Amino acid sequence: MSTPDSELDRHLQALFRGLDTRADFDARLMARLRAESQTDATERTARARHERARYRRAVLELQSSRRSMLRLLTLDTLGIALLLVAAVVTAGPRLSRDVMDISSQYGPYIAMLLGILIAAVPLVGMWAEQTRRPIRLL
Amino acid sequence: MLTDASLMELVRAERRDEAIALLLPAFRRKVFALAYSFLRDREAAEDVTQEVFIKIWRALPGFDARASMSTWIYTIARNASLSALRARRPQSSLSDPEVMAAVEAIDPAPSPDVIVYMEAQSHEEVATMLAMPVGTVKTLLHRARARLSAAAGKMSTSS
Repeated sequence: MSTPDSELDRHLQALFRGLDTRADFDARLMARLRAESQTDATERTARARHERARYRRAVLELQSSRRSMLRLLTLDTLGIALLLVAAVVTAGPRLSRDVMDISSQYGPYIAMLLGILIAAVPLVGMWAEQTRRPIRLL
Repeated sequence: MLTDASLMELVRAERRDEAIALLLPAFRRKVFALAYSFLRDREAAEDVTQEVFIKIWRALPGFDARASMSTWIYTIARNASLSALRARRPQSSLSDPEVMAAVEAIDPAPSPDVIVYMEAQSHEEVATMLAMPVGTVKTLLHRARARLSAAAGKMSTSS
């Protein structure tokens, strides 16, 4: 039908060619698209803000859980040290003289070593916390 | 020269408005003709054409070039026209399922003659636009011409 040959075709083609959108069609469409674009940008900003808040919350939760772990580790170390002391005190009278001699000779060093270990646990934990790479959740 | 690649470059550069401004003169009348061929109502066809271009604007970043841009646009236009056609049908209540079934059974066949006469497209192009075989387009066009010819004959004898 690209080359209409009859009178009817010519007539119909002339008739239908007048059928078109209103003159302000393009302007109305572009105005609607601008409005859509603004809504789009607002939604994107709101989404980004929501994601940032979620990230901050997650980081705080992670830091809090790390601190809890550190506290638990410190308490564990203290408990182990106390158990060791209690074991030595309980078993002390039953130990042979040689062992008692050695322990009285090295006792202060062992106690000092234990103290250093107990103090070192939170210090090492804090150092690890500070030197850790920034948390990336996204 | 408007090509799919040049349009996609604009989309990638987040210049969708410019892409639409290029698509509009090339496809506005075609989309309008396609919508009119389904709806046979100028106002409704214009509303659908607006919706189609807004849908295109929204979906352009996701266009994967599996089909050509024109085929993609015609698909959106056809679906939007069919949705508008369905929305225009009378809403029957659940108490009259027979009416509901009858309404659903109405064939929303488009009129290819509108596109042919509006846009002087070839049968093959109209077949692509309406997603129907060329033979069907020819048959529908033949019937429409016979109908129009009869109507024109009636008009000339009555005058």
